[in-house]
Amino acid sequence: MDFDFGSLLAFIIFGVTIGVVYGIVALGISLIYSGLDIVHFAHGEIYMFGAFLGLVLSQQIGIPYPGAMIGAMVLAALLGMFIERVFYRRLTRSGGGYTVAGMGMIICGFGMSVALMNVAFLIWGADAEPFPVEFGIEPLEINDISIPPSYLLTAVVSLCLMGILNYFLRYTKIGLAVRAVAHNKDIAFLMGINVPLFISLIFGLACALAAAAGVLVGPMQSVQVEMGYLMLMKAFAAAVVGGFGSLPGALIGGILVGIFENLGAAYISASHKDIYAFLLLILVLMYRPAGLFGVVAKVKA
Amino acid sequence: MLNIKEVHSGYGKLKILRGINLNVPQGGVVALLGGNGTGKSTLLKTISGLVPVMEGSIEFDGQIISGKKPHEIVRSGLVQVTQSKEAYPAMTVEENLMLGAFTRSDSGGVRADLEKVYEFFPVLRQRRKVLSGTLSGGEVQMLVIGRGLMAKPKMLMLDEPSAALAPKVVLEIFSNIYKISQTGVTILIVEQNVRMALLLAQYAYIIRDGVIMIEGSAEDLINDSSVKDSFLGGTVANTKKSLNS
Repeated sequence: MDFDFGSLLAFIIFGVTIGVVYGIVALGISLIYSGLDIVHFAHGEIYMFGAFLGLVLSQQIGIPYPGAMIGAMVLAALLGMFIERVFYRRLTRSGGGYTVAGMGMIICGFGMSVALMNVAFLIWGADAEPFPVEFGIEPLEINDISIPPSYLLTAVVSLCLMGILNYFLRYTKIGLAVRAVAHNKDIAFLMGINVPLFISLIFGLACALAAAAGVLVGPMQSVQVEMGYLMLMKAFAAAVVGGFGSLPGALIGGILVGIFENLGAAYISASHKDIYAFLLLILVLMYRPAGLFGVVAKVKA
Repeated sequence: MLNIKEVHSGYGKLKILRGINLNVPQGGVVALLGGNGTGKSTLLKTISGLVPVMEGSIEFDGQIISGKKPHEIVRSGLVQVTQSKEAYPAMTVEENLMLGAFTRSDSGGVRADLEKVYEFFPVLRQRRKVLSGTLSGGEVQMLVIGRGLMAKPKMLMLDEPSAALAPKVVLEIFSNIYKISQTGVTILIVEQNVRMALLLAQYAYIIRDGVIMIEGSAEDLINDSSVKDSFLGGTVANTKKSLNS
């Protein structure tokens, strides 16, 4: 293959667009991790549910695409809060103070992942569903390589969502309280914050982000029951690469994973596309275990 | 204002407090004294609702608060000032202070109180944009007290404000606490620094092994021989005496 600067640029652009999607799912995983001290292994299925909900809202009910995305985010947030309240809350409570030490939560997460996948299978079946959306934008042409509008839109919407989240966490009273709960629940209680309510809120927020990612990726690929697993792994890699609990880290980690796997697919072997993310994960864990932007594991008294 | 009757509490099956009776009158300053591991912090956590009450009752401002959730207790005007190491180090000074006012919805009043706190602790105004993790020990202590004031409390509970501070800074902090009490805020102060606490408080309780050993007015306790022996350096003198004889 001849080296061609134009195609390199295109691969990088493709990498960045899918990378920001990994980034917003990673952000959700990171939020849940700092809020509940658990790694949520069913997050990929929330993403899958988000994609299906968006599909149903836009194709079957006929809501325009932006509305369908917002609808899917709200429904996924409700689903997430329901799961957290009904299933996870019992486990976290028995662990004492909304944190869990041990395997229970991890296994519960995996179980939830399988359960959700099968619920989706019952409702929508195993076939991959196309998610055609007319954006009404011309594809962007760079050196004979055209970038489809869905990719452009995805990147823009993801960045906007991150911007909004950043503003929310940094400059609003509720956002401040979310950060307080994420950092230390006992002190947050003493500030008069209703901690159990905020934990639900954090969970719902993370699920809304995953659903947005699902609705964004839907038109690029297709929507099917097993799409969540790979997304979870990529987003997990992104969160670790960027550093768990770091907001800019999740974004940069996602973009790095996206670029890395696209370049690997282009110049090494396209059939092993999914390996490269984990290669990057292993490299980062070997040389910078806390991630690029992470702080060395916070020690809790 | 705060009435604690026969309170038992602890963690899980481990009982730490075994029948505490304590009373803080409105507008008063009361000290709770004792060494490490005697149950001081557990009592504070029990009052603020972080540790559940097993037996007995706690009444604040005419309402029973035992059994309520911590955030509800804060809303009733009983605010605990955390230990100084428990500011939010990754937040700025101002964010920490605003967090203290989380329960309030009168933004004008909050602004005015922020201004008051800055006048009270000018160093916080200077450093309001820096992360509180970079402050000195004394500054963080001022920050957590200021954060407590932001909630517009009827009563403040302070958890060892003198811990790990230089004597000169301790003096400054205590004079500030005195000024706060002069504004009508009721104060319960938990301390290991018995001498300072007895200078500030009108009444004091000494806790050991989860029970109140001695209580009395601050003046009586300063002159009490057993307090002198166990807390005011008396033991060292006695040990010397017994070594010499």
